[in-house]
Amino acid sequence: MCDWCMKHGAGGKWYMNAKNYSNELAEAINAQEYLKEQWKAFEMVYIRRIMGITSIDLGYKLQLPIIGRILRWSAERMIHSEGKHRNPVRADGHFGQVIPLEEAKIILGNLAAEPIIENYCMCRWMQRGIKEACCINFGLLSGVIEKLSRFIPKDTKYRLDRDEAIAHIEEHNKKGYVATVWFQPVPYINAICSCENPECGGLRLRNDFGLHTVYKGEYVAEVDPDRCQACGMCVTKCQFGVLRLVQSLKRVIVDINKCFGCGVCRHACKYDAIKLVPRENYPALRGVY
Amino acid sequence: MFPKKSPKVTIDYTKCGEKGQMDPRDCAKCLRVCDPAIFILHESPNMPIDPVDPKYWRITPVWLSLCNMCMKCVKVCPLGAITVSR
Ligand code: SF4
Ligand code: SF4
Ligand code: SF4
Ligand code: SF4
Ligand code: SF4
Repeated sequence: MCDWCMKHGAGGKWYMNAKNYSNELAEAINAQEYLKEQWKAFEMVYIRRIMGITSIDLGYKLQLPIIGRILRWSAERMIHSEGKHRNPVRADGHFGQVIPLEEAKIILGNLAAEPIIENYCMCRWMQRGIKEACCINFGLLSGVIEKLSRFIPKDTKYRLDRDEAIAHIEEHNKKGYVATVWFQPVPYINAICSCENPECGGLRLRNDFGLHTVYKGEYVAEVDPDRCQACGMCVTKCQFGVLRLVQSLKRVIVDINKCFGCGVCRHACKYDAIKLVPRENYPALRGVY
Repeated sequence: MFPKKSPKVTIDYTKCGEKGQMDPRDCAKCLRVCDPAIFILHESPNMPIDPVDPKYWRITPVWLSLCNMCMKCVKVCPLGAITVSR
């Protein structure tokens, strides 16, 4: 369990707490207004000046001796803000965590507030100019996005019932897309995304700049040396360069320090050689997300 | 230690963008050719804002520190709108 589970998990994982999905919570924190403001010009998020600074050349700015440290500190504060006056256009309080397919299905089957929609992924659009419907949103956020036609797939059914949502997340996950669940704003949960690295803005900020926009999952991959046939298929699936086929050993090894626990490598293994185990099984990884 | 300067990547907005002949949404070649994906497609600032379906778009090179100066974007751009330099 991470800090957010301690705060918002009611004794379990934060994203398994039904309360965090409820319309009552959304109302209590005035999420409707926040989401409307945030989504109407979301594509400007890296370009907009935030305290006089844009994300342009963030890598350089973060290296600056004093300014870099202040910038990192304030960015982390914004990302995790639970304050009353959160600023939607800079996405205050918006962060997520990687989850395995099994948990994504439980969320979509039981916890997600209806209506559930599947809209165009914002990140792939901004990073690659590609429109792919693979972002599953729910609750109040669905109503906000539905009004913005540029995110709504044409000629396909974008409102999903629970079974359809489960079938879609399964399809994305098997393709190799990483399932992530999002606070927006914390502690209100309203999205399960299917991300690629580095196209996903959250994974980008995490992996390339060390900001905690996305936390690693509660699990890590473990390879059974007796089952592994060294076919290398799993290596092609991992978005994070965690797996390596060691020819002399005739098996795959796992760099657990890098593993996000998304579990998509498992879908590639015909020999059932990979399983997810709790991150806590490894003393060195306890509390490291 | 001084921070390492990033490569400079520029786009000529008189060629591609809200005032150019190209709407970047119709091309997007630079967005797709760049392995580190340093470009961001976004609504043009300083233009009338349409929150539902923005009409004016441009591309900004954002993640400059990750540019490896492979020059693929320069070569792929049909309008010669991109420059990459130290
Ligand atoms: S978080 Fe993932 S799925 Fe959602 S918009 Fe970004 S890349 Fe797309
Ligand atoms: S896909 Fe399975 S059998 Fe093939 S290398 Fe990976 S773990 Fe081993
Ligand atoms: S090795 Fe870890 S990060 Fe890579 S695909 Fe498997 S679970 Fe995901
Ligand atoms: S030079 Fe290469 S790495 Fe740099 S922006 Fe162009 S395509 Fe991307
Ligand atoms: S390749 Fe050139 S014309 Fe095409 S979108 Fe990029 S900058 Fe515009």
